[in-house]
Amino acid sequence: MGTFLIFLAGVLFLAGILFIKPRAKREQMWKTVVNWALFVIWYGITWMGISFVYINASVGHVKATSTAIFLFLGISVVLAVVQARLLGFIGVKKAGNTGELQA
Amino acid sequence: MINEQEKKYQLSRRNFLKAGVAASAMGVIGAIAAPAKVANAAGASLKYTAATKGQWSKLHPEHDYGSATVRFVESNDQWLGTTKIVGKVKNFSEADMGFNLATRGLLPNKKTQAASLSFFFRHPFGAAIANAGMFVAPPAAVEGKPSPKKLEIPDPEQMSQHIKDAAYFLRADEVGIGKMPEYAYYSQKLTDKAGLMTKPVEECVIPVTERLPYVIVVMVDQNLQTMLGSTGYDGISGAMSMKSYHATGNIAVILATYIRSLGYNARANHAFNYNAVMPPAVISAGLGELSRTGDCSIHPRLGFRHKVAAVTTDLPLAPDKPIDFGLQDFCRVCKKCAENCPNQSITYDSDLVEYNGYLRWNSDMRKCAEFRILNEDGVSCGRCMKVCPWNSKEDSWFHQAGTWIGSKNGASAKLLKTIDDMFGYGTESIDKYRWWLEWPEMYKYPAVAQAPQTH
Repeated sequence: MGTFLIFLAGVLFLAGILFIKPRAKREQMWKTVVNWALFVIWYGITWMGISFVYINASVGHVKATSTAIFLFLGISVVLAVVQARLLGFIGVKKAGNTGELQA
Repeated sequence: MINEQEKKYQLSRRNFLKAGVAASAMGVIGAIAAPAKVANAAGASLKYTAATKGQWSKLHPEHDYGSATVRFVESNDQWLGTTKIVGKVKNFSEADMGFNLATRGLLPNKKTQAASLSFFFRHPFGAAIANAGMFVAPPAAVEGKPSPKKLEIPDPEQMSQHIKDAAYFLRADEVGIGKMPEYAYYSQKLTDKAGLMTKPVEECVIPVTERLPYVIVVMVDQNLQTMLGSTGYDGISGAMSMKSYHATGNIAVILATYIRSLGYNARANHAFNYNAVMPPAVISAGLGELSRTGDCSIHPRLGFRHKVAAVTTDLPLAPDKPIDFGLQDFCRVCKKCAENCPNQSITYDSDLVEYNGYLRWNSDMRKCAEFRILNEDGVSCGRCMKVCPWNSKEDSWFHQAGTWIGSKNGASAKLLKTIDDMFGYGTESIDKYRWWLEWPEMYKYPAVAQAPQTH
């Protein structure tokens, strides 16, 4: 199971790169860097959490497992929302709608 | 003609420098290679090849300290590792140890006297291990005269590596060699434990006169999963101690017998027959630092979760140095053992106190012994071992990171302790590891003294 999770982490990391690549590049260099840096940090923390939860659950540390689910999942969701906003997946009005309203 | 010949033998400055560099390089290479070759030559008939210089042993090329940052420190007349010596450390009588004070009726709770002889035998499994340990207890097992003929052995450094390998081969989890502190020997050794109840103490002890220069300390883990399943003071608690006492005792007896057969003095010291106090030997051999409990040492990887036995010897050895992995700073701020001690025997003080010529935390060994003897929830107690952040976990990247952080300084120790508490480590009992059986009706202490049932 542990080996499978490591394989999955690698595959999803590459898939994530392909997924955000079209939206990550911005006119300002620093925004491009922020997008990629945030992706790496978010991905690292998320899998750190998965690893932490997996190991603690398999050993039987109940409190550590439940606390880690809230802690790491919480951080992961917050970072994911911030990144989705920066990449334009959420919170950006579509240009077409704006045009229709003006007309 | 003569001038031409002289010229032939003259060197230009350039060639002179070249020859000098070549000679220096050969000298360096020779110096590096020489010790191993010389050592090999000395032990040629032993067919023993020297390990790389500085290697811990052949089976364990490096001592496994876990992820703790370890520094090597000194032992001298002012320090034993990280323990400060402030005066004359007097040799202790075995009759003055906690359990023996109970047998003598000197602990505040007099019920301990009757219970002290048999409390370790209240759980059948712990009793079975303790009974097995008795086989290596008699004087004939632990001591004897060395062989009159000294066999050829390699130099002290290689012999140390060989002895460590022998210990690992015999299933020691860790082994270290130290200079034997003179004050680690008991002043008097107990020979009649049951007699302490009825006879004057002088009739139950004999003086310890042995003084040997080195001590080999072997350490065996008490088993992580069992500890994770235990409360620390249930039925298996005593058996966990006995398991490691028995294992280390056997290793020590074998090593001592082996060394005597090489023609050198050697005496095994284990829980069933001590000649010396173990913590100073452990510290001297670089296997731990003194902890908040006051009389137990902690290993950077195994924490408290071990027991040790030792071999005192005059076999020519190269002793290791004591270690410092930041435990004094850690214990100063952590106090988790004190918070969780069922009898509040461990101090909350931040400062050390002077005790018998050295500085330690002011924990109450008498209260500790009293609880362990009278514990009716199980046999003995190892709650401090269970909750200590240094040993309450399995091997994983985050625990490695935790102990690495914890060994840095007081602030990082506080951080590790906070995280340890937040995740609930050390205070839970994991049911899936509870493999042993409990018989609570057997944990009641007897009203009258009972001799242990040995078979």
